[in-house]
Amino acid sequence: MRHDAVRGHLDGLLLAVVEPGPLHGYAIITAVQERSGGALELRTGTIYPALNRLERVGLLRSDWEAVGQRKRRRYELTEAGRRQLAEERSAWRDFTRVIGAVLDPAPVPGAATGAAT
Amino acid sequence: MAPPPPLDDPVERYAVELAAALRGPAGARERLVVEVRDGLAETVAAYEAAGVPAERAVREAVAEFGSVAEVAASCQRELTVAQARHTARALALTGPFLVACWWLVRGTGDGQGGVSGFAQQVAVQLSSAAAVAVVLAALALAATGAWGRWLPVATERLPAAVAWTGTAASVAMAVTTLTLATAAFLAEQWPLTVLAGALAAASHAVVAGSARVCRECARLSSREPAVA
Repeated sequence: MRHDAVRGHLDGLLLAVVEPGPLHGYAIITAVQERSGGALELRTGTIYPALNRLERVGLLRSDWEAVGQRKRRRYELTEAGRRQLAEERSAWRDFTRVIGAVLDPAPVPGAATGAAT
Repeated sequence: MAPPPPLDDPVERYAVELAAALRGPAGARERLVVEVRDGLAETVAAYEAAGVPAERAVREAVAEFGSVAEVAASCQRELTVAQARHTARALALTGPFLVACWWLVRGTGDGQGGVSGFAQQVAVQLSSAAAVAVVLAALALAATGAWGRWLPVATERLPAAVAWTGTAASVAMAVTTLTLATAAFLAEQWPLTVLAGALAAASHAVVAGSARVCRECARLSSREPAVA
């Protein structure tokens, strides 16, 4: 799936993968790729500013985790982030239900019989 | 002091090129570059662990990560907002000082040998402008903070607005400094006027520098195509 198609959904994807618990940037990237089965073509370097933006608007918070000699930043959901994720999920389900109903309509029972007679 | 990183290391070279392409608050910029560098290093290590030869591992990792230009464009948008917040904070902190200074000086000048009538007129105009700048700065901080969840369009346009508000305020602060320096010769209570002038000069130095970087950031962000 191309990068352009993902653009409007990146925030929801990032919030969803940190929902189970705190993760650092590379683990977030790996989690998105694993959950998508490698189907999402993300420029993974652009994930880091997106994480910074989500932290700035209060959907994520971060702290430093010591790893051997160096430190790395771990991100986790805030309460506002959990609410936002729930809204994104709900909006996505509504969107796919409506578009799915148009693109792939369920057969109307008896319609074929009616047309033949 | 730590030795400089070896530039024959492609990951370090990537980080150095990225840092050179970015403008914004030093702390936020360094944090982003360190995160990107560590992430790229981990990506290279993951390829190598999967048996990919070192040189190809770097090429694959950079292809997956995005070129320096692509990643810089995304980072710059965030740093531009960070710089706008920095400038807005500087305005929000120094503006009230300026208003207070002017009203203090005005209060000592009414027909008691204080500041001249011209200085008092300037005081009214500039303290009003400073008050407006403070309100705009507070709104900018809110819009790029928690309100940013609901105002994504505003955060695209705000940095330039903050940059030019900061520039206008810094000019007002420079005029204030000159006016107060002149008024100090005429005022009976000259120590107060000198103190107010020194505060205005310090405010000008802080706000003008931050607003200049903010203008650079806004210009860089407006040039870059959106990639994320």
